Amino acid sequence: MGRLAQVLIANRGEIAVRVIRACRELAIPSVAVYSDADAHALHVSLADRAVRIGPASPAESYLSIAAIVNAARETGTDAIHPGYGFLSENASFAAACAEAGITFIGPPAAVIERLGSKIAARAIAQKAGVPVVPGETPADQSNQAIAASALNVGFPVLLKPSAGGGGIGMKTIREERALAAGIEQARREAAAAFGDGTLYVERLIDRPRHVEFQLLADDHGHVIHLFERECSIQRRHQKVVEETPSTAVTPKLRQRMGDAAVALARAAGYRNAGTVEFLVEGTGDAASFYFLEVNTRLQVEHPVTERVTGIDLVHAQIAIASGDALPWTQASLTQRGHAIEVRVYAEDPSRHDLPQAGPLLLYREPSMPGVRIDSGVTEGGEISIHYDPLVAKLIADGETREIARRRAVEALRNYPILGIRTNVAFLIELLEHPRFIAGDIDTRFLDVEGEKLRAASVAAAIPAEALEIAAALRRGATDLSHRSAEGAKADPWDALRGFRG
Amino acid sequence: MVESLGNSRYLVSVNRDSEVGVRESGVGIRKTLAYAVNDRARTWVFIDGRTYVIETEDRDASPGGRATDNQLALSAPMPATVIAVNVAPGQEVAEGDVLVLLEAMKMELPIKAPHAGRVKSIACREGELVPAGIPLLELDPGDDPHR
Repeated sequence: MGRLAQVLIANRGEIAVRVIRACRELAIPSVAVYSDADAHALHVSLADRAVRIGPASPAESYLSIAAIVNAARETGTDAIHPGYGFLSENASFAAACAEAGITFIGPPAAVIERLGSKIAARAIAQKAGVPVVPGETPADQSNQAIAASALNVGFPVLLKPSAGGGGIGMKTIREERALAAGIEQARREAAAAFGDGTLYVERLIDRPRHVEFQLLADDHGHVIHLFERECSIQRRHQKVVEETPSTAVTPKLRQRMGDAAVALARAAGYRNAGTVEFLVEGTGDAASFYFLEVNTRLQVEHPVTERVTGIDLVHAQIAIASGDALPWTQASLTQRGHAIEVRVYAEDPSRHDLPQAGPLLLYREPSMPGVRIDSGVTEGGEISIHYDPLVAKLIADGETREIARRRAVEALRNYPILGIRTNVAFLIELLEHPRFIAGDIDTRFLDVEGEKLRAASVAAAIPAEALEIAAALRRGATDLSHRSAEGAKADPWDALRGFRG
Repeated sequence: MVESLGNSRYLVSVNRDSEVGVRESGVGIRKTLAYAVNDRARTWVFIDGRTYVIETEDRDASPGGRATDNQLALSAPMPATVIAVNVAPGQEVAEGDVLVLLEAMKMELPIKAPHAGRVKSIACREGELVPAGIPLLELDPGDDPHR
């Protein structure tokens, strides 16, 4: 197929910047697209060319297949990188690209469609011998049949409304003698909430971890995995901290899970980069894992994998899309050291993590050994109300998990973002939590510890130094450093002495 | 530059909008790198991973603040899409019940009842885009013994 002549990045923010930089490294011309809200965004100025695709509303810009394919056509672009989010897992978009003769840097439309359906993906996993969370909707909904199904699935068991979602009306049953009453109650609640008492019986995974495997698959039958990422630190289905390796994954478990991920990718006819998500129950060689879903795109947290494998995943995606064979075999890959990513969000921990939009009056990224920042913003820019509140991803690595963790903390302590509230202090508290330090985490970590962390990250009192600085700045102080101690005595901020004991 | 003159006094110099703090501490000096910027009525200060927002104007710490919070709690804090309206007019709700679920910037924002009461009226519907600050519903205090 040969080299791609030009790549259009159908995205914005840090991921657009990330992909544009990869294109430049590979000497492939890049085209950015932007909405009116992003006319002055970093990705627009970094690309070789930028095309306006519509107003701020995502539906009319970054989610508009017609506008993006049009921009590609008009600029003579032969490939589109979708980034993550927006149209990245939209089978119609991949199909529209194919129809327009444009290479979609991702899997074929049919694969996206198949894996996008929870039911179809589960069937593919089962066919490939990959464990799934045991569960069924008994055809016979009598108490006896549901009880039999529960015994079959195993305790603890979760009874869910078949018609429902979002955790409403779910009933956990931990032992056989609680079954009869539990079934009656679950049926009543399902009927009340959804007008349908049909129950789905599922094994409850206690204190699960979210562990995913990075995949690469080329057009020549090679499928490899690039090990795991531990993503258990999440809230409201949004990941906050990701790392690799996982503290729960032993070499034997890694082998089993990696083999399962590769088998699934082969069964699905997978191409390009993708991620298989699993729930892991327990630790050690005997831990169990269950297939969750496949993400048919580059992940937000892909940099941690890059830090420990030394492989640039965007370069790999472009090589695969160009028809190249993967230059690596599974046996040639190693994990070196440890990498931790934290997501810096514009949000207010004192107001339930309410997302914040506003100007970046002062924005200075830390630069230090073992630290990488992927961002799409600059000082003087803004976090727009129209898009997600991710400011940047901070990735720290080191020979050990502890070094990576300390580097992440140190970098956050030197990452001033002013003009908008962020979760920087919250992330520091999180990384310093004894359970995080010990690697004792699961998907409920932030549900359990989040409130305490939020409270600890919000200052009870403003320290004297901060008040001194604010006072000086308000007075429009210029260079006072030549002043003697005597001279300073007359200064009005002497009045602030009372703030320190 | 913030320079300590001992006894908790500081000498501050402003280099554009970023500062360096210097504090004496036994032998030698201990420096604190800090950053600050003015934003109309506020000053933002960053020191060692923490951000402080200092209000320039003196504000009365009046007890009326709480009531404002309650009113704000029943409106969208920012332009948002209504995902779900969980209550109907006349319905009794408990403090903390999620009345309306909003989505903005790809995040779910639950609007919770600030106190127990009865839903008087609803001024939004599912799928609607609502601006910031406009009440989404009216909540009467229920059987409030203080009334």
